[in-house]
Amino acid sequence: MIDFRLKKAGREPTTDFTGRRRVLVAFMMFCMVALVARAVYLQAIHECDPKFENAYQHIDVVPIMASRGMIKDRNGAPLAVSTPVHSIIINAREVKKDDDARIKQMEKDYRKHKKEELHLDKAMKLTEAEKLQIYAEYQKEKAYKVQQIERLLDLPIGKVSALLDVEKPRQFAYLARRIDPAIGEQIRGLKLAGIFIEPEYKRFYPAKEVAAHLLGFTDAKDVGQEGVEAGYEKVLQGISGSKRVIRDGQGHVVAVTDTKEAVKGKDIELSIDGRIQYLAYRELERAVNEHKAKSGVLVILDAKTGELLAATNQPSFNPNTKAKSNYRNRAINDVFEPGSTVKPFVVAAGLDSGYVKPNDMFVTNGAYSIGRRTVKDVHNYGTMDLTKVIKKSSNIAVSQMALRMPPKYFRGVYHNLGFGESAASGFPGEAEGSLIDHRRLNDFARATLSFGYGVSSSALQLARAYTALADDGILHSVSLLKRDEDIDAKRVFSAKTAKSVRAMMEQVVTKDGTAYEARVDGYTVAGKTGTVKKSGGRGGYIAKKYFSVFAGIAPAKDPRLVMVVMIDEPSAGQYYGGLVSAPVFSKVMSGALRILDVAPDQIDTMPILLTQQFQ
Amino acid sequence: MNRRNRALAAGAFHFDSMLVTVCVCLLLIGYVMVTSSSLHLDSKASVAASALNVWGYPIKQLVHIALGLVMARYIAMIPMRNWQKIAPWLFIAGLLLLVVVLFFGVNVNGSTRWLSLGGIRIQVSELVKFAAVVYMARYVNLHQQSIRESAFGLLKPLLLFSVASVLLLLEPDFGSAVVILIIAMGMMFLAGARMRQFALLLAVVAVLAGLLVYLEPYRMKRVTSFMNPWADPRDTGFQLIQALVAFGRGELWGVGLGGGLQKLFYLPEAHTDFLFSVIAEELGLLGVLAVISLFALLVCRAFTIAVAAEKAGEQFSAFVAYGLGIWFGFQAFVNMGVNMGLLPTKGLTLPLMSYGGGSMMIMCCAVALLFRVHTEVTEINASTLPEPRFKAKAKVA
Repeated sequence: MIDFRLKKAGREPTTDFTGRRRVLVAFMMFCMVALVARAVYLQAIHECDPKFENAYQHIDVVPIMASRGMIKDRNGAPLAVSTPVHSIIINAREVKKDDDARIKQMEKDYRKHKKEELHLDKAMKLTEAEKLQIYAEYQKEKAYKVQQIERLLDLPIGKVSALLDVEKPRQFAYLARRIDPAIGEQIRGLKLAGIFIEPEYKRFYPAKEVAAHLLGFTDAKDVGQEGVEAGYEKVLQGISGSKRVIRDGQGHVVAVTDTKEAVKGKDIELSIDGRIQYLAYRELERAVNEHKAKSGVLVILDAKTGELLAATNQPSFNPNTKAKSNYRNRAINDVFEPGSTVKPFVVAAGLDSGYVKPNDMFVTNGAYSIGRRTVKDVHNYGTMDLTKVIKKSSNIAVSQMALRMPPKYFRGVYHNLGFGESAASGFPGEAEGSLIDHRRLNDFARATLSFGYGVSSSALQLARAYTALADDGILHSVSLLKRDEDIDAKRVFSAKTAKSVRAMMEQVVTKDGTAYEARVDGYTVAGKTGTVKKSGGRGGYIAKKYFSVFAGIAPAKDPRLVMVVMIDEPSAGQYYGGLVSAPVFSKVMSGALRILDVAPDQIDTMPILLTQQFQ
Repeated sequence: MNRRNRALAAGAFHFDSMLVTVCVCLLLIGYVMVTSSSLHLDSKASVAASALNVWGYPIKQLVHIALGLVMARYIAMIPMRNWQKIAPWLFIAGLLLLVVVLFFGVNVNGSTRWLSLGGIRIQVSELVKFAAVVYMARYVNLHQQSIRESAFGLLKPLLLFSVASVLLLLEPDFGSAVVILIIAMGMMFLAGARMRQFALLLAVVAVLAGLLVYLEPYRMKRVTSFMNPWADPRDTGFQLIQALVAFGRGELWGVGLGGGLQKLFYLPEAHTDFLFSVIAEELGLLGVLAVISLFALLVCRAFTIAVAAEKAGEQFSAFVAYGLGIWFGFQAFVNMGVNMGLLPTKGLTLPLMSYGGGSMMIMCCAVALLFRVHTEVTEINASTLPEPRFKAKAKVA
């Protein structure tokens, strides 16, 4: 095939091969045109290959958490705040990837170091022993970091190592949730690849147990679950934003595009006064413990605006840890029969309608028959005027008054006072209570209704009804939020009636009244006790199980506060409202009036008190 | 003749404005893009990134270019006759360096291709390519007759080239071996090797190259991943996919200088072998077309100079110019083709543009050689074809 002989010379050399040159140039230019064609195809005629979309692995959408609005008390003190916290996430696959890269880097550094140390011209290859040594060193360093993380996060030893198990790498696991950012930063400082720090917000309740039931709490996703947190979720909740980030090949964010800022939730200012709330919490807790009661509630309303100044429950829980699960706000969500605490309303209704005259006298002898049923008093009080009826809490006398009034009117007064319908405070799951239907309202039912059976209400509802007596006949709406005035108030009694009933109620806290313990030195107090037999279901009542209730107003002359204290099943002996609940009222009320700078209106009892209180 | 050479040696060049313009454009674009694609490298490596750190690569590249230009200035002063004289020694020196590099070279990513000289890395294979062009031009000039008439004439130079290729493959540097063989084959093709023998030789070389690819698993992997990069997009197909993504992102006008993302650790060797992808991403189709056009112009210019030299009877100079044209054209084509997924991955730099000391200096010298050919040819034409302007100049000289 190949001709190895030397060919005879004789052809013209130069001109023959211009054709070849042209072919070669044409071929090279063709190659360049091919490049151009390819470039146009790649860049102008954009290929919509979904695979290419996947290759844009460096574009990522990162959510921006919105912080939740703060809940403050009426003085601006924080009751619930969102604080930034860190969650620690571990991604074992990333760790594995990084291991290789770091070992390589260490080997490189080692070679460089060795080269300099031995003054070699070029770096030496590493021996197997050296490689193993570097590997061991790396593992040691990593083990130290892992140990540090376990120590910082208080994790059991071996937990992180287990998650890092290369055999079954898990993409994603939480090492810790919602921890102190300071610890998070320490962990970030360890620079262990595959450990990610996710900023989050945690709800923190500085008042802890004190306002737990009122505020409620949020779940892991920062959504309100109970209390004000749930009731005002729409307001408090922020709108989380997002940002598109571009990452480089090592996962670092190099650019941020399309940021949608997070919108912070709105703050709300509750009507609660943190100082009064704390006082109420403390005294109620003490009383519940002292009387070995099952539970207790306490509600304080502003007599002029209907604002809720304090609402507390016993036993409570810590919303920061949620260790116990007694989350129910009994003060607002649970009902009881108000018992004798409604008697002032009966008197007021009678006076207002003229069925009862201010000078009327009521004749009793300890028992009063209505049909085949009998109403009894604790003692035989004999003949009483209105003041003594309230002072001694006579069932018979109020029954007599009730029977004078037409059933519809009589029930209507209760209805007007808000019994049987919710107080509309906006608190989630608010109780409506119940009020006996007027068709079932026979004489005996009317009589029992007059001393607080056949009707049920929450402590909040009862306190609200008392505002009608406190604010000279005007019933206020209830507000959980701070406000200057109540635009939803309505008149239930005449001012004159309310004033005279309050005057009668002042006698309750006198030495021979039912609740001398409720007195507040320096201030006039109007109140009414209630010792209610607990209902055992269908019609029957359980012996020796009581609700001890005290509802009161202070100062009685120019009321500022309305308070209801209810202690459920006191079982340390005493159970009368005047002995169990009234002392709580006294302590909380005297503190609250002082906190609110209310001027004392009962000079004769004041000086002694001042020295006693400031011990 | 002597007087002419003296005059030229003194720096009285016939300036080839087109060649110089094209090369300066390539150098400028290349430098800007190297800067853009290397700024992040040092800052990530060291924890405390000082300003000097960040500019480490650009400053080094500036030194490379400056050195290259100084060298070019002196290369351009060496008469072509002298090149022809030293050609065999140059080639042998190149071979020796190839041996030296095997023992004392710097190993990067598993290949021993570099000699470290005073902090600057010289890729020996670049020097060998240069020597190959000069040597082949001398051979063609002296043995044109035997090339045209016998297979011996064809095979003799290839023997030396095979030695060079084997040494290159030991580094391993498959790409450079292919480049010097292509240069040799192309020059013999132009010198008038007989078609049938040439075709056979081409076939043999192609089969050998094919075998080399087939037998070496990592080369085979490169070819298969080139055929289907999506088979393993995170490992073997990674480079190519990232390069293609860079082209896709660039579109018509590019994302803007410095705005590229692919260079940030997605494109390995963004400032060297994959510089073209960075150009595609940041400057778009516009930049890509400009660069391709510049290289096409460079090749055309080399061939035009070669033709002029051939016409002036300067056979050696002509073939030096042909060889350089083939070298520039082929290497640029391979590099750009790899970047666009037209060819399997090869470790070849983009002439005059990529980061790298040896490559940059040798390429500057190569351009200077081409410049020298043009100068000499113009001078010859000026002295043989009486044109007033040159005549007057010659008289003065």
